[in-house]
Amino acid sequence: MSDKALKNIFLNEFHLEYGAKFVPFAGYEMPINYKKGIINEHLHVREKAGIFDVSHMGQILIPSTDKNISSLEIYIPLNIKKIKSNKCHYSFILNKKGGIVDDIMISKININNQENIYIVYNASRKKILNEIFSNICENYSILKNRCLIAIQGPSSYSVLSSFIDLSKIVNFLDINIFEFDNTDIYISRSGYTGEDGFEISISNESAENFVNKVYKIENTLLCGLGCRDSLRVEAGLSLYGNEINEDITPIQANLSWALDKKRLKNGNLNGSNILLQQLQETKDTLKVGITPVNKTMLRNNMILHNKDKNEIGYITSGCFSPILKRSIGIGYINNFTNKLDKIFVKVRGEFEEVIIDNIPFVKKNYKKGG
Amino acid sequence: MAEKKYTKEHEWVEVDGDTATVGITNHAQESLGDIVFIDLPTVGKEVKSNEELCVIESVKAASDIYAPIDGEVIEINNNLNDDASIVNQDPEKDGWIFKMKIADPNQYNNLMSLDEYLASLEN
Repeated sequence: MSDKALKNIFLNEFHLEYGAKFVPFAGYEMPINYKKGIINEHLHVREKAGIFDVSHMGQILIPSTDKNISSLEIYIPLNIKKIKSNKCHYSFILNKKGGIVDDIMISKININNQENIYIVYNASRKKILNEIFSNICENYSILKNRCLIAIQGPSSYSVLSSFIDLSKIVNFLDINIFEFDNTDIYISRSGYTGEDGFEISISNESAENFVNKVYKIENTLLCGLGCRDSLRVEAGLSLYGNEINEDITPIQANLSWALDKKRLKNGNLNGSNILLQQLQETKDTLKVGITPVNKTMLRNNMILHNKDKNEIGYITSGCFSPILKRSIGIGYINNFTNKLDKIFVKVRGEFEEVIIDNIPFVKKNYKKGG
Repeated sequence: MAEKKYTKEHEWVEVDGDTATVGITNHAQESLGDIVFIDLPTVGKEVKSNEELCVIESVKAASDIYAPIDGEVIEINNNLNDDASIVNQDPEKDGWIFKMKIADPNQYNNLMSLDEYLASLEN
């Protein structure tokens, strides 16, 4: 894609003014980091609070009618009818093979006395998901005129609660409607960093005012997609295109916890037979954390080898962990047995020894039982 | 010590006698971002100019460092093994990466002057 075809997010100029360095991502010109750099931003999120503009992501409201729900349930492995209002769920849009078309956050929220299904989805999957929604849903609205701002880190509650009463969202995955600048904003207690935090859906007109307000509060720092990625890898969270894609099912990706198992049995769900079968089989492919023995950098798509130098898997995400001060990776190993002996990754033609590590690399710090 | 020269690959080269010290420019470290690891070359390695010699890993990506001229690697900056961010902090002095024994002094003379390098960044 040529740079000319890249879209700007609504607050593009604001970020430019605050020193953002931009990179093309999923068809958008996105801030990758600001002046302090990725490592400082990463550590700031783990210690205080980072502000991310993730307005490139897709947002849609779909009226919570029986018809819309049964159409969505063909693609989404949840009992959508039964999910409670004001609670987010991590789920998927599945294809007929049970493969992951995208991972999503889905909730029910009440807007103007109408219960709506609110879905947030990946920027890189907007086109294909919008096509699915347009084919199966009625009276939906794709929220093109809203920004999505994330505030992430242990201080994010004190930052946001300094001007918004957050008593309606005291636990991780709570979501509710709030008011800012006399407009509705949707705030969920969620994120993609492994830390306590919030994602705020806000109209374009009020977004700059909101970000400015948060930015001026102590302990906050503007953060880009660079540290968003290293934060999510440390937290062991999946990314479409890396750990998950249309050829990988939630079970193969170690995400079966997110499936409503009853939905696999009563049919009317894409790939339910395949998923049910996979649930009963012993898994032969395992998603693992990977740590290099010597100093080297793990990167996406590097190949894993056994001691006989045969290919046994690959790295889906590799990066530098600013918390552990070394490289970390997530990957898949085929035909996994505990007798694997030594494992190697091929780095620029050389075999570097790695060991299997636990995911997440850094303990999650979500707010529960508040 | 002779004038510092520059390559289009954003390296600087400083010559003292028949020894060239090589590092990356401030412009290069700025565009790489946080440098976390440098796969330093092996001392004794003989290379031709423009051959890949070592790799700088920043948080964002891996970037090759090329030999600016023909010669033999005679010393590496081992401080970078402990703290690669020295290249971010002081790219054109303490952040030097390796030293080479120069095979052909003419190659050095053909590299860019500072003015030529800065002009090349404008394009």
